[in-house]
Amino acid sequence: MSDIVVFSAKKIITMDINRMEATHVAVRAGEILAVGDATCADQWGAVTHDDSLKDAVLMPGFIEGHAHMMAGAMWEYAYAGFHDRIDPDGKMWPGLTDIDAVIAGLSDYADTLDDGAPLVGWGFDPIFLTSERLSKKHLDQISSTRPIAIMFSNFHLMCVNSAALDLAGFDQTTNAEGVIKGADGMPTGELQEMAAMFPVMRRLGIDFRGLSQKEASIRAYADVSRRAGVTTVTDLYSQMEEDDVTTMLRVTGADDFPLRVVPALGAMDGPKAIADKAQALARRSTDKLRLGAVKLMTDGSIQGWTARVKSPGYVGGQPNGIWNTPPETIFALVDELHGRGIQMHIHVNGDEAAEVSLNAIEAALRKHPWTGHRHVLQHCQMMGRDLFTRAADMGVCCNIFANHIYYFGDQHAALTIGNDRAERMDGSRSAIDAGVNIAIHSDAPVTPMAPLFTAWCAVNRQTMSGRTLGAAQCIDVEEALFAITMGAAYTLKLDSEIGSIEAGKRADFAVLGDDPMAVEPLALKDVPILGTVFGGHVHLL
Amino acid sequence: MRDRLPLTVISGYLGAGKTTLINRILAEDHGLKLLVMVNDFGAINIDADLLASADDDTLTLTNGCVCCTMGADLFLAIGDVLDRDMRPDHLLIEASGVADPARIAQVAQAEPDLVYGGIVTVVDGQSYEGLSQDPQIGAQVAGQVSAADLVLISKLDTPDLALQLRLGVQARAAVLDLTEVDAFAPLLFGSIGKDLPKIKATSHAPYLGWSAQSDLALGYDVLKTRLDERPEGLFRFKGFVGHDENSSWEVQCVGPSVNIKPLKQSRQTKVVGIGLRSQITADQIDDWWRV
Repeated sequence: MSDIVVFSAKKIITMDINRMEATHVAVRAGEILAVGDATCADQWGAVTHDDSLKDAVLMPGFIEGHAHMMAGAMWEYAYAGFHDRIDPDGKMWPGLTDIDAVIAGLSDYADTLDDGAPLVGWGFDPIFLTSERLSKKHLDQISSTRPIAIMFSNFHLMCVNSAALDLAGFDQTTNAEGVIKGADGMPTGELQEMAAMFPVMRRLGIDFRGLSQKEASIRAYADVSRRAGVTTVTDLYSQMEEDDVTTMLRVTGADDFPLRVVPALGAMDGPKAIADKAQALARRSTDKLRLGAVKLMTDGSIQGWTARVKSPGYVGGQPNGIWNTPPETIFALVDELHGRGIQMHIHVNGDEAAEVSLNAIEAALRKHPWTGHRHVLQHCQMMGRDLFTRAADMGVCCNIFANHIYYFGDQHAALTIGNDRAERMDGSRSAIDAGVNIAIHSDAPVTPMAPLFTAWCAVNRQTMSGRTLGAAQCIDVEEALFAITMGAAYTLKLDSEIGSIEAGKRADFAVLGDDPMAVEPLALKDVPILGTVFGGHVHLL
Repeated sequence: MRDRLPLTVISGYLGAGKTTLINRILAEDHGLKLLVMVNDFGAINIDADLLASADDDTLTLTNGCVCCTMGADLFLAIGDVLDRDMRPDHLLIEASGVADPARIAQVAQAEPDLVYGGIVTVVDGQSYEGLSQDPQIGAQVAGQVSAADLVLISKLDTPDLALQLRLGVQARAAVLDLTEVDAFAPLLFGSIGKDLPKIKATSHAPYLGWSAQSDLALGYDVLKTRLDERPEGLFRFKGFVGHDENSSWEVQCVGPSVNIKPLKQSRQTKVVGIGLRSQITADQIDDWWRV
């Protein structure tokens, strides 16, 4: 058998302007050898034809530029969210759209657990359930003896049942901020913020971080990615302890692990220490584990009113948000990391956070000129034309949180930043027109990983209520597909290796059941994902 | 049943002097086994003869105190301390420069194995006025003062009485200049007895230690009312108060904060109080407690 395999497909969308479409792609040793028709690789010698994908449409493997490893680990627990969601094994978890559905859905799940084992749920979002607040009264209907804890989707609140309250010693004598009490003086089961959730989490052994570093979780992350057509994924705030690195190297190094992982080290220490650690990690990179970038936090979230926003602020008059890293520390970190040639991913939800980060990068650039740094602002939700122009001036990339338009757009217009700025938020059009290299992302598990859905959001800007939020910021399908392939590859400095189907690049493909360029733009999210090809190996669902 | 672990949070903006305070507390002769969680080891400065051992993330002192980095997850680190076979006498957590200390200290109210030991906010006396007005960071810096049970002013050669007054109004808590304090353990940990005699006679702020032991038994409401009416100047008040045959109360008052936790075992009333001699007398405490 020849070591050259020629895959045929119904259509290949290459994202390479030299040959935008093709029907065949030749692969040798995990690398693309030629693209074109059935004869494309004949000049390279004998070939083997593989027609197993002949009815599928191939695209470059999708690249999720902002997600978290926790997206795999979450499935150790029961999903209790409002929207339908598919787990790593392909099982559909129907959305729980009212409190009765939450009770029924979790009761079914409880039947699958050992007697007395805690039931832990995640993804519950009270913003969508307006009838009444979830309380212990509801969860006690599932079980009065098995401890139950349901984590809300924002990770700031949880609701627990009476058995869990007992375990944590919460009763009428408890006098603690965040342990919410009802008119009867008894805890309602709602626990607000980590300090109040901690006693329950500790006793039920809930540890999302620990969970996300286990081999099973890393493999689940690969399954989540494969189901989304993703062949390269980020883990954008990784602690990278020595044990974590060893485990990651082992798990990602396995031949059957069909995913390239790009973690960014969380900047938790002083500038010099974090730069030292990042440079040491970079030296341990492999093909499937790309180390060396750093993630900076700056502000909080818009829907939590903790993002740092510029005038006119929040529409409800809420005080401006909070810095998780103070501006002077942002400047110090950016100066050191940039000065030492380390690429940064900088979390900026509010426009003030984006502005401070750009100021810090500009200051660092004046001291240490560096073309090609490709620092990436992440989320970029409130950036307007002015800030995108500055980003373009400095060669800063923007990875835009397009999924927010659908999931939170209505809330942003009504409750957080008001209609005007909601209509231009996550503004892909302004960014592209300003000359910024953009990617678009899910921030999984905050929203589900599904680059075609993310592209659909950027193209249609439709909210949950069906409103088109700021039609002026819509981009076309080809631009959106570019953002989830070449655009994202560029933000990871991997555009010479992945992101398009052309000779010399990795043979990483998304295998699709329909042609995203041909379907109605509103149907983009419904194009079936059949699996991936990673390094020339086919991994169908 | 194991004794609850008191938790004190040390708060303050970048460069306020948190580490200086921690260095002084670690070196102080208080006889307590403290566990101090810090953000960054770099600035911790322990005399070589006090240092028993050191590795990447833990310093062990010859006086039994331990200083460690907390890693990425503060709450996970607190859980680890509580799960240890040998718990320290007191847990100190250095909050990050922008953290809201209340969000950390609240865990001591919620977690049955912890008791609230208060929030100490360190303020740079030279830069606070400007910082607290800063359009970007001012609200968070001022918030740390508002949350404090005790404010300590650093970096001044002589106490600034006007600043002390302003901070006192803002925090509704005691404000002291670091130069006025020779020993922190009584103030922060409420430990009297073996510590008190060691306080130098030259101290600018000599402490008053007070204690009482009796068969007093109180219901929650009566106890709460009494604690709310405690005399001003009684900075620290803690101990156990009897209730009935099966339960008692664990009491911790720090500055303006009152915390009462039920204890599912009977205990005799035994309380201690700490104040500054310049502000309160033992008779005043007696009059209040023995009504």
